[in-house]
Amino acid sequence: MKKPRAFIFFCIAPALLLFLVFMVYPTISVFVMSLFKWGGYSTSRAFVGIDNFKALLSDTRFIGSFKNTVILLVLVTAFTLVAALWCANTLTRENIKAKGLFRVIFYIPNILSAVVIAAIFSAIYDPSSGLANSFLSLMGISPVMWLGNRDIVIFSIAIAMIWQATGYYMVMYMSSMAAIPESLYEASDIEGASRSSKFFKITLPLIWTNLRTTLTFFIISSINISFLLVRAMTGGGPDGASEVFLSYMYDQAYTNSSYGYGMAIGVVIFVFSFTLSAIVNLITKREPVEL
Amino acid sequence: MKKFIALMLCTVLCVSSLASCRRNESSNDPNTLKVAVLESAYGSEMWEKICDEFEKLNGGMTVELTAEKNLEDVIGAQMKGGDYPDVVHLATGREAALTETLIKDEALTDLTEVFEMTIPGEDTKVSDKLIPGFTDTLATNPYKDKKTYLAPMFYSPCGLFYDADLLEDNGWKVPESWDEMWELGDEAKKKGIYLFTYPTAGYFDAFIYALLAESGGIDFYNDVMNYKEAVWDTPEATRVLNIIKRLADYTEPTTVANSTGDNYLKNQQLVLDGKAIFMPNGTWVVGEMEDAPRREGFRWGFTALPAIEEDRYSFTFFEQCWIPKEAKNKTAAKEFIAFLYSDKAAEIFASYGAVQPISDITDSLDGDNKLFYSVYEDGAKAVMGGFAATEAVAGVSIYDTLFESINSIMTGDKTVDTWKNEIIAASDKLRDNLK
Repeated sequence: MKKPRAFIFFCIAPALLLFLVFMVYPTISVFVMSLFKWGGYSTSRAFVGIDNFKALLSDTRFIGSFKNTVILLVLVTAFTLVAALWCANTLTRENIKAKGLFRVIFYIPNILSAVVIAAIFSAIYDPSSGLANSFLSLMGISPVMWLGNRDIVIFSIAIAMIWQATGYYMVMYMSSMAAIPESLYEASDIEGASRSSKFFKITLPLIWTNLRTTLTFFIISSINISFLLVRAMTGGGPDGASEVFLSYMYDQAYTNSSYGYGMAIGVVIFVFSFTLSAIVNLITKREPVEL
Repeated sequence: MKKFIALMLCTVLCVSSLASCRRNESSNDPNTLKVAVLESAYGSEMWEKICDEFEKLNGGMTVELTAEKNLEDVIGAQMKGGDYPDVVHLATGREAALTETLIKDEALTDLTEVFEMTIPGEDTKVSDKLIPGFTDTLATNPYKDKKTYLAPMFYSPCGLFYDADLLEDNGWKVPESWDEMWELGDEAKKKGIYLFTYPTAGYFDAFIYALLAESGGIDFYNDVMNYKEAVWDTPEATRVLNIIKRLADYTEPTTVANSTGDNYLKNQQLVLDGKAIFMPNGTWVVGEMEDAPRREGFRWGFTALPAIEEDRYSFTFFEQCWIPKEAKNKTAAKEFIAFLYSDKAAEIFASYGAVQPISDITDSLDGDNKLFYSVYEDGAKAVMGGFAATEAVAGVSIYDTLFESINSIMTGDKTVDTWKNEIIAASDKLRDNLK
């Protein structure tokens, strides 16, 4: 019995080692560095305990970035989920011509890099010649400063994120929907079920496990993609109005030479995303429907 | 046998994973000098030539040059691993703030003796060649110890850039006072042209520095830079903030929307298209907009800020060269920096448009550069430096508070009083952490 165990150990050792070196060690390092006052480059660092975390509580820009991240998480998850489910259901269940073409078109935004998406939306939001304001002027509405207005800049970023993510989640939901036996829908047709009944009573329960998994993806990807889009489209501006978790962390760790403080923000992001994922996982827990 | 091969492969994978984590130790070879420079608008070719010349002068010495546009990403990672370059040419004011971080961490080598060294290959001292004043600023001497830690390199006068042809076409003259500026703004508005735009709020640094000097003189400017108590509560400071507030009425309305992220070129384009008259900028804008379309007859114009009372000021931005405290080859590094001020090096730099603060160098300039660098001969006074070095204070940045807030002033989301109170609060916190 001993030999196979040793063999298994040696087989998983490389992956385990890489996991420990590149995942566990850096994560622990972030927690350790958050307790220091350190610029990040020099050898001098001072232990400050939980001072960095105390400073976070009174940092209005951090609170603003927290608020923006939550707005993006809620908006992007809600709208993308609904849009992706609707598109997936329509393309799977309805008799539409050129389904494959639509599937490709919806998926294209997902293969574009965040920088390209930022460039596309910067052009759309251009105050003088952008698509968005040209459309508004057709309806007689005066131009909107999509990226220059503190009150709407975060929603402008949310729209870009929803556009980017819908296709990806649509394909994920479509793969689950394709696995639902056609006989269930045929039976419901005989029973006289409406489209909405079929969606809520057959489709949704049967893709629930997949949907739950994507909710965790939404949390992680919203935090990551928002950083990339904010960096490229607004740089956190105007005047910090579109700052999100990671952009503020970068700003503090590098531009403000407060690496330890930046790592404290990193710890908050880690704990926040972990806790939120756990809560979402808990409240969406259902007995899996077995066919 | 299969199991044996699998075990061997696993072992190789484990060992190679560990080997890749080896700490990259820096070379201790006294005949190798590691030079890291930012590849800016001047390009990297001039640095290759400089390194070749230095090698020729110091037989046996090898210069390893790293020239990157994202220099912080390249050397930053190496420095975290303990591998420090010997000489770094990287100015303050960059987003990654590597230079500022090392200043705050007191991780730079004292360069005071470099200015008393004889330039390699010549018999002149470095200090004899430098334009006076360049090594007496907070940008070179960030602490109170009167020592120089950053060597001044390429300099550039900052002020207002405009289309000289647009003004001539409309019969307008360049305003010399802020009253004339507002009059011009009203005149231009009648023709659908806005008085002002700015690339990003960050470009207000040189603008506000010069305005502070105009409002209260150089001593007042130095008080602000040293976070003197209640300095922002003075009429001189309030006057500066009010000028910015008034500029909001004359600023092209799409400016704020385009001032964030990578869209700032659209604001610079407004000047080239004749839609806005003035923008605060530095001499690099000419190269940056070289290929951009422009109004027919467009001709670059440059002026110092209009006077509040009598004196007009233009902020002198300059790049810096420094030696990390952890550098292994400091002696050769100091020789290299001294060499950068040699006639040979200055000639190479100037041929790429990089102008050093060396006496009489402006005599050799022509074209647009002649116009830009003659601003001080035309009566404008120079103001240099920047905010004094402090310990890093978590969540507090004078740059964000003073400059980034201008976007909110322009859109009316922030009042001058709120702005002033925020600046005072930030200034108070930073004063307590002065180096």
